[in-house]
Amino acid sequence: MQTPGTYISAVGHTALIGWLILGWGFNSEPLDFEVMTVTAMSGEEFEQMTAAQTPEPGEAEPTELVQPEIDETAPAQPAQEQAALPAPPPEPVEQPEEETPPPPPPQPLVTDATDEPPIEPQPPAPPAAAPDLPPSDDPTPEAVPRVAPEAVTPPDNADVADVQQDAVVPDEAETAEEVEEPQEATSPEEAATELAIEDEEPSGAVETSMRPTARPSRPAPPAPEPEEETQTADAEAETPPAAETDTSVEDLLAGVVGDEPAAPQAPAVAAGPPMTGSERDSFRVAVNRCWNVDPGSVAARVTVEVGFNLNPDGTVQGEPRMISSDGDQSATQTAFEAARRAILRCQSGGYQLPADKYDQWKEVVITFDPSGMRLR
Amino acid sequence: MRRFLILILALLLAAPAVAQNDPGPLRLTITDGVIEPLPFAVPSFQAENAEAQQVASDISRLVVQDLAGTGLFREIPASAFISQVSSFAQPVAYPDWRAISAQALITGAVTVSGDQLVVKFRLYDVFSGTELGEGQQLVGTVQGWRRMAHKVADATYSRITGESGYFDSRVVFVSESGPKDNRQKRLAVMDYDGANVQFLTDSSSIVLAPRFSPNGDRVLYTSFQSGFPRINVLNVANVGQQQLGTAPGEMAFSPRFSRDGNSVIYSLANGGNTDIYRTNLASGQHIRLTETPSIETAPSLSPDGSQIVFESDRSGTQQLYIMSSNGGEPRRISFGEGRYGTPVWSPRGDLVAFTKQNAGRFHIGVMRTDGSEERLLTSSFLDEGPTWSPNGRVIMFSRETQGAEGTSSMYSVDISGRNLKAVPNQGGASDPSWGPLQP
Repeated sequence: MQTPGTYISAVGHTALIGWLILGWGFNSEPLDFEVMTVTAMSGEEFEQMTAAQTPEPGEAEPTELVQPEIDETAPAQPAQEQAALPAPPPEPVEQPEEETPPPPPPQPLVTDATDEPPIEPQPPAPPAAAPDLPPSDDPTPEAVPRVAPEAVTPPDNADVADVQQDAVVPDEAETAEEVEEPQEATSPEEAATELAIEDEEPSGAVETSMRPTARPSRPAPPAPEPEEETQTADAEAETPPAAETDTSVEDLLAGVVGDEPAAPQAPAVAAGPPMTGSERDSFRVAVNRCWNVDPGSVAARVTVEVGFNLNPDGTVQGEPRMISSDGDQSATQTAFEAARRAILRCQSGGYQLPADKYDQWKEVVITFDPSGMRLR
Repeated sequence: MRRFLILILALLLAAPAVAQNDPGPLRLTITDGVIEPLPFAVPSFQAENAEAQQVASDISRLVVQDLAGTGLFREIPASAFISQVSSFAQPVAYPDWRAISAQALITGAVTVSGDQLVVKFRLYDVFSGTELGEGQQLVGTVQGWRRMAHKVADATYSRITGESGYFDSRVVFVSESGPKDNRQKRLAVMDYDGANVQFLTDSSSIVLAPRFSPNGDRVLYTSFQSGFPRINVLNVANVGQQQLGTAPGEMAFSPRFSRDGNSVIYSLANGGNTDIYRTNLASGQHIRLTETPSIETAPSLSPDGSQIVFESDRSGTQQLYIMSSNGGEPRRISFGEGRYGTPVWSPRGDLVAFTKQNAGRFHIGVMRTDGSEERLLTSSFLDEGPTWSPNGRVIMFSRETQGAEGTSSMYSVDISGRNLKAVPNQGGASDPSWGPLQP
């Protein structure tokens, strides 16, 4: 009996009764001063008067109908908030103009219900735009998003997600390839690429750290990867003599030497000046365009290193040979075949290489790394 | 200044060391190739006697059709040929084929004696000027000429790509006729390219989801003959049938053979709960693999038979899970938006194909078995039921068009998402299951 509810009920009822009493008291005073004068009339007079006004009652009823409609517009606001009405166009038009505040409250409610933070930031934006542009354009776009989220959230959260993705899907949906692209979130492939490179260069760690030191000192020559590998060879050759020196000095030395191996090399081997970056690049591009990769095959996951010798006229001498691979036998064989075809097919009349530097390119080792071409 | 001094020092130290060394090979790294079909040439096979004239021409056309149909090869038309091959034994003039950029060349000869058909063929790598593999000779019947052509194409495909082919294979499917509300469904088999359709059942009762056995001798399917879905095993050769024993009131569906073909994994619905079971076909012994109140269905075994991928709504939406083939705790692999279903493990073992429903559209997609690298290959009003080619390179699925007049047909797509095309078929067809490469 003496539950908190009982007390609350008792207090509430007391308050209500008290308010009613007070209310009667306030209202009773103004009622007094309305006084009407009444004149007595006979039954005949009354009939005559009503006869004259007979058509009017018919008109009076429509006016009464108009009033209920006005009354309904006022409650219509809560009705739409509670349940998803089909949203007759005229009514929403009036509401947004008068009451922009109501839209924000329902939207936060939606955010609580569904797990989609990215989507709701967008709805808040339109209300902001609405006050800026009160004219007729705004109400209609606003009216649709409001009705849709409210209607959909209670039955199924997933549907809400679907509705919002609609905007994305039409873009993707047209072709399968376009569908693939948006899902590039699969970054692990790139990680694999790095691993592959590390595998190729056994002494990679120290040398990669040298690179930054060397480059700032010499911005001019753009020779990239191949030089690193010549550095590797040079650095290995130097390691014994420089072994006892300080590591930082050693790094610097190696970096400097690696950066400019050609100056000492050229006179010593009599192979002409070092190959320029553009000479390397044009050679690389020449093989590139014949290297046909099938991204769907298992061979597209295999990096192979292929060596071959060139004649002075740039043609391939004998057969290319496999040097190393990181895949299983069958995939490796396919990857090697593709690389071999590329080398042989694109030689046509002989690769265009500087004849005076033949000693530098008489033997070539190319690493074919398809990791960047895999399917995403 | 200090840097300059170090440089001088470095040069002094380096010069003798380098001077003693050969410059070594020129090293390059190539990361950007091209993706284009490999050009090949197939001069019409030689007819070694008059009877073989027609079939020799048909076989060479079908070989071209098979290879070019993969999207990985491009035919060089005979009009571009510089030299003709007048004899199978004649040495190949490589420069003539190099000149028209043919990278592969297939030559062949056909002999017909009575009902017997003999096909010989050789494959050449034009740019290295060598023969790829040994020449091969196939013996068969004249009626089976299509299989002979498929075998030539398979051998070529396999030698060039390093992966096995899929041309000499069959597909079991549900042939459909009639309007959507009164559709007649029959089991049928066809060649992978839609030829040689044969019906296995009549249209007296509804059949669903046929599945080839690993060696292609039997077909599992779901039959509504008794009113309840039951699983039937059908022998393809003699159309004999066997029914999987289930208790009354139980509904069994979504079956697949184990890799050895001796048992069946399937879904069993009993009292509103659906779980995955395995039944040994010989002994009839059942093992229940999942025990949850949620719906578990569409099991598919990994190629080594150690794991099962299946769909489950235990998380609230339909997602893909992998568990041990003996049951146990599954791990979820699909995490994207939308619903995932009908997973199928690739014969290569590296991918899982699935149907995805998202934003009112259906997709066929693939993901790695850890759920990474999800890629959607198709998108339409209704795509579903993927099945893998025997080499794991192509996915066939059924696509239904919208509306009451909508029809179902089968499509295939390369796992790269390229080369989407309809499988030629008379009338409606759905629920394909790709069988193995035939011996």
